[in-house]
Amino acid sequence: MSPIKTMVAGTFGAALLALPVTLPAAADETAPANLANACAGCHGTDGISPGPTPSINEISEEDMIALLTAFKNDEAAVTMMNRIAKGYTDAEIAAIAAYFASMM
Amino acid sequence: MAEVRVAVPPTARKGEVIEIKTLVSHPMDNGFLLDYGGRMIPRWIINRFEVEYNGEMVFSADWHVSISTNPYLIFYTVATETGQLDFKWYDDNGEIYTHTAEITVT
Amino acid sequence: MTQKSTRRDVLKLAGAATAATVAPTIATAQSAGGVVVIGAGFGGATAARYLRRAGVSVTLVEQNSSFSTCPFSNTVLGGINNFSSITHGFGGLRREGVNVVRGRVNAVDPDAKSITLDGGDTIAYDRLIMSPGIDFKWDAIEGYDEAAAELMPHAWKAGSQTNILRRQLEAMPDGGVVAIAPPGNPFRCPPGPYERASLIAHYLKTEKPRSKVLILDAKDSFSKQGLFQAGWAELYGDLIEWVPFSEGGNVARVDPATNTIFTDFDEHKVDVANIIPPQRSNRLVDTAGLADGGDWCPINQTTFESTIHANIHVLGDASIAGRMPKSGFSANSQAKVCAAAVAALLAGNDPASPSFINTCYSLVAPDYGISVAAIYRIIEDGTIAPVAGAGGVSPSDAPASTRALEADYARGWYASITADMFG
Ligand SMILES: Cc1cc2nc3c(=O)[nH]c(=O)nc-3n(C[C@H](O)[C@H](O)[C@H](O)COP(=O)(O)OP(=O)(O)OC[C@H]3O[C@@H](n4cnc5c(N)ncnc54)[C@H](O)[C@@H]3O)c2cc1C
Ligand code: HEC
Repeated sequence: MSPIKTMVAGTFGAALLALPVTLPAAADETAPANLANACAGCHGTDGISPGPTPSINEISEEDMIALLTAFKNDEAAVTMMNRIAKGYTDAEIAAIAAYFASMM
Repeated sequence: MAEVRVAVPPTARKGEVIEIKTLVSHPMDNGFLLDYGGRMIPRWIINRFEVEYNGEMVFSADWHVSISTNPYLIFYTVATETGQLDFKWYDDNGEIYTHTAEITVT
Repeated sequence: MTQKSTRRDVLKLAGAATAATVAPTIATAQSAGGVVVIGAGFGGATAARYLRRAGVSVTLVEQNSSFSTCPFSNTVLGGINNFSSITHGFGGLRREGVNVVRGRVNAVDPDAKSITLDGGDTIAYDRLIMSPGIDFKWDAIEGYDEAAAELMPHAWKAGSQTNILRRQLEAMPDGGVVAIAPPGNPFRCPPGPYERASLIAHYLKTEKPRSKVLILDAKDSFSKQGLFQAGWAELYGDLIEWVPFSEGGNVARVDPATNTIFTDFDEHKVDVANIIPPQRSNRLVDTAGLADGGDWCPINQTTFESTIHANIHVLGDASIAGRMPKSGFSANSQAKVCAAAVAALLAGNDPASPSFINTCYSLVAPDYGISVAAIYRIIEDGTIAPVAGAGGVSPSDAPASTRALEADYARGWYASITADMFG
């Protein structure tokens, strides 16, 4: 195994393009539907899952916030959601929760 | 020690342009990288590549730090006569990796 | 049933009522176009369905009468599922009011804002969404053309190719060698060849244990490599051999008549040869120059509108979507953002800021799943990039129970995403 190689910043600026980005500033708000629709890839349209993945269409706003926050903080033993939830700010988690709740 | 691979057509017609492929397994560390512990990985590259065809230099290149890991190089030359191609890769550490291929020209 | 599902039933009925007004006939170039979508695959079916849900009238043009998914086609090769389980009809889309037209598009005319089908019919559009997937670069590997693919299948589009490869695996005697030759990046589904190697190994281990899988790779590293290699060592011992580029894995030439694969430096006579050639966007995009002379289509990565022609949106494998990999999940996620953007643009509004997810589940065995995930946003330069600190691969030290759970969730993903595409 070769060691992980880290670029020395500044020397080769172009190589830094390969680094991931940080979350956008709150000013650039992402539409709640754009946030929530992406969940359907695993949880089904509107959060209604036809298979082994849990449905998320009947989770209250508070519960959704609590769940996603716990996933984000690695406070739940899960296989996937810890990795997913880290992609959202607290404000976005609230927006997602409100979006799903609004469909109930 | 680096492992080298070379593909030369075993036979060719006189005057034919032949394709020669070479591949050398080498880290080609450019000297700008840090290891796990944040220590600089020293520069370690192959800095020159040469090919002689029956003693005559038909291809040579100086390599610098931008050449990738495991350099893969294809070049073309004209099949002039039956004989031998000698490949040499010069390592920063002073080692020279060599390979010889035979070609029959008809 | 609860109140919620009643609500949904009501919504469904509303969709069905609209369906009756959108007769499945081909409009003429003169009629008001609405939105036309080309390709009922991961990107196209999803885009059509979500536009319909937004109340936009949609015509979806697809050359085949059903869609067979590449995802899970490796389970068919591994003898775990049959082909019909990965094939989906368009009845659900029709019921929701999508005007599904069967036809092969042979040209896109950005000036007339219309497309032409085989047979000469034209369909006009206000906005066109294209998700036509990939084509192969037949010239890239010497000797590998469309005829060769009948003998040395790529099986990189699900369909008859999948069945050819499965039949060859069934017919192969014990002790045979199955070669898989993955291309260099970028290509459709980066972990796909390695999942394929896994599930073929699963089949061989059970049915033909003296056989071997030989991966002749044009690359030196691959997606989820550590997880795959650990899984292979654990489940298959040395049944799978991976030859990277730097050890001479690159395939330069094939001879289909003798099932021989010539790498740059060696020669392999094998029993089954699965050659996955380098890829480009579907050649249909060339009829409007949408790839701008390159392999993939440049787009505005917020709206998926082509940077070459206005009113044409390109998504999925065919597009240059920043750092998102070419996957069904990516295409599905992009399609929803694109559908929302198109609905907004038609209504004269500004498209909203996008957010995407991609996840690729892979089965190392039927009860051994691994995954890679990322969340994507638009960054300052307008391109799509992953969010730092999120996503990543399954843990390398997970117990068998976690791998089994992820295999279940892989099946859950498949059920959900195909429902999200086709209703
Ligand atoms: C073996 C394998 C395994 C994979 N596994 C996964 C996985 O586990 N997860 C994942 O996310 N992705 C996976 N993928 C990748 C996934 O299949 C593609 O990324 C996805 O299909 C891309 O969607 P698309 O909409 O761009 O194209 P496609 O889904 O290919 O859809 C294109 C559609 O357009 C139609 N079409 C093309 N040209 C025309 C024309 N001229 N006229 C009319 N119709 C036309 C085609 O018939 C097709 O239905 C896998 C791929 C392979 C090969
Ligand atoms: C790649 C697939 C995938 C995606 C995408 C995904 N989820 Fe999940 N989700 C899962 C899985 C799998 C579980 C089960 C827990 C686990 O192992 O991670 C789960 C569990 C959950 C749960 C807990 C449900 C329960 O009843 O316990 C919630 C809430 C949830 N997801 C919300 C979301 C939201 C919101 C999104 C979109 C922002 C999302 N998920 C996107 C796969 C996914």
